Amino acid sequence: MNNQPIMDAIDPEILDRLAARKEEIDNGSPARPGIVAALALASVPVALAALSRDVYGQGALPAEIKGVLDFALALEIFEDEFYKAVLGTSAVAAQNAAFATVRPLAAAVPGAVNTLQQIQKHEAAHRATLLATGATNVFNLSGSSFDFTGARGAGNGPFAKATTDLAFLLQVAQGAEDTGVRAYKGQAGILMPNKAILEAALRIHSVEARHAARIRRMRRAAAGASAIVRWSGTVRGGGAPAAGATDLGPQAAMVAAAFEAMYGAGANATNSPNEINVTQAGVNVSTLSGTGFGPEAAQEAFDEPLERADVIKIVQPFFIPMIM
Amino acid sequence: MPESKELIISSSDQLLQATTRRRFLGVLAMGGSVLMLPAVFTACGDDGNGITEPGLDPRLDPDRYRLNLSNDTGILNYAYALEQLEAAYYTAALGSAGFAALSAPEKEVLSDLQKHEVIHEEFFKQVLGTAAIPKIAFNGATVASLVANRDVLLRTSQLLEDTGVSAYNGAGKYLTVAANLLVAGKIVSVEARHAAAIRDIRDGTNGRLFAGDDVVNAAGLDVKAEPGAVVTAVAGLNVLASPVSIGTGPTGTATADSPAPNPS
Repeated sequence: MNNQPIMDAIDPEILDRLAARKEEIDNGSPARPGIVAALALASVPVALAALSRDVYGQGALPAEIKGVLDFALALEIFEDEFYKAVLGTSAVAAQNAAFATVRPLAAAVPGAVNTLQQIQKHEAAHRATLLATGATNVFNLSGSSFDFTGARGAGNGPFAKATTDLAFLLQVAQGAEDTGVRAYKGQAGILMPNKAILEAALRIHSVEARHAARIRRMRRAAAGASAIVRWSGTVRGGGAPAAGATDLGPQAAMVAAAFEAMYGAGANATNSPNEINVTQAGVNVSTLSGTGFGPEAAQEAFDEPLERADVIKIVQPFFIPMIM
Repeated sequence: MPESKELIISSSDQLLQATTRRRFLGVLAMGGSVLMLPAVFTACGDDGNGITEPGLDPRLDPDRYRLNLSNDTGILNYAYALEQLEAAYYTAALGSAGFAALSAPEKEVLSDLQKHEVIHEEFFKQVLGTAAIPKIAFNGATVASLVANRDVLLRTSQLLEDTGVSAYNGAGKYLTVAANLLVAGKIVSVEARHAAAIRDIRDGTNGRLFAGDDVVNAAGLDVKAEPGAVVTAVAGLNVLASPVSIGTGPTGTATADSPAPNPS
């Protein structure tokens, strides 16, 4: 690993203090769990950020940045626990039992379980990285904090069909990943004052986009899939149609409303445009000279952000505690 | 001419000039580097003073492609250069033997990617306006060799998309205007979707390569590269005929790279 540039830029006296503190921790001196995790992850930026806070006290992270990390952690715990329940690896037996019907259906599709495992591994890693970076599990979330049917604990919500139907399950997973992409994009500006945390968030953001693309391709491979679900993994159109859902289940209106929120505009449509948007930085990207591809390619070429309150509105039904 | 620790020799004429020879020795004495661009071997019209002689190709003039990454305009030009490369590559790909060998779903992917990258390219050209670097010229023979069959087409596409993701992830911290960071964020997730789609094609039914352990590390973080590493890696592909280089590096602290891996 080439870590010369960052080392060059840090005051040698600060480096000495950090190195001395790391040695103390290595030798058994008490430290917050986040720091130990950061050192174990061997991620230089994360470890430096955590050690700096340890040396210089808890007040180092401004409230806005801490707020973004806490919010991101809640989303990552939700995703991690969702995939663990689907895979049957949750610490909560009832969550594993809920997905018992759909699990063998996923196992029958070549590569599907591998994909779900790969995604779950990343969500768990994001959870650990965010904790190491300074996030706090402010809602005390655990495996039993979620109702994946979307009924806040009643277990009979509009997404219950995901526990018995693979196509429905993948629709929900795609929505969760795409919402994650929009959520990180919406928070990036707030992280600008802390370059190390911004970069970590950007690197999580693109992983969520990879996940969303693979799930789209799994859905497109199924019989009867809509061509709106692109083989390229990109988002065509906006609002509920952009989900490319073929089955909205028995509570169709509620599922359609959820997809509308996932792919539509946020409360502030200027800050959080509908995914169908083709105006970027004041430029209509569907009519650029030298293109002439029509609106769909222009919609696909740019993903749109969502603000925190919009994201919470989408995911709250899956969380039993209030996360407002 | 200000002395620097890097000397780029872009034309064979330069080798015959006393100023070039003096700088060559000076740069070596400082422990700097001398880069001879491919154009040196094909001859071109820039004598190194930034003034292009009439009738000679301005697309080989290094002064026109030297990036100043110390401000947002320079970072966006860096993105523009990468989007030009992707757009040119996929446009060449559409008519290639490699493309003809793809299945219908695979052709849909490459066709989508070509449109998206051309849109990104034209978008940057429009927003940068007169501050935009000129159109980059490409080495046609190299590009042709990289679209000649299905395997090289998909491997090169994977490398370009992963490189794009790493470049945006590494450059975001240098942007100072939130609106610019947001635009970069809107594009990088699309590049990541592309990378995942191409990787998934190459993966068959394994189901893990879309976000494989070769690009997502144990902390769950995707690829990331500093601009200098990206420009060097792209130069190594030998597809750029125009001499794109970094004149002034970004302002801020570089972080350790996790570069896009060469597809196996």
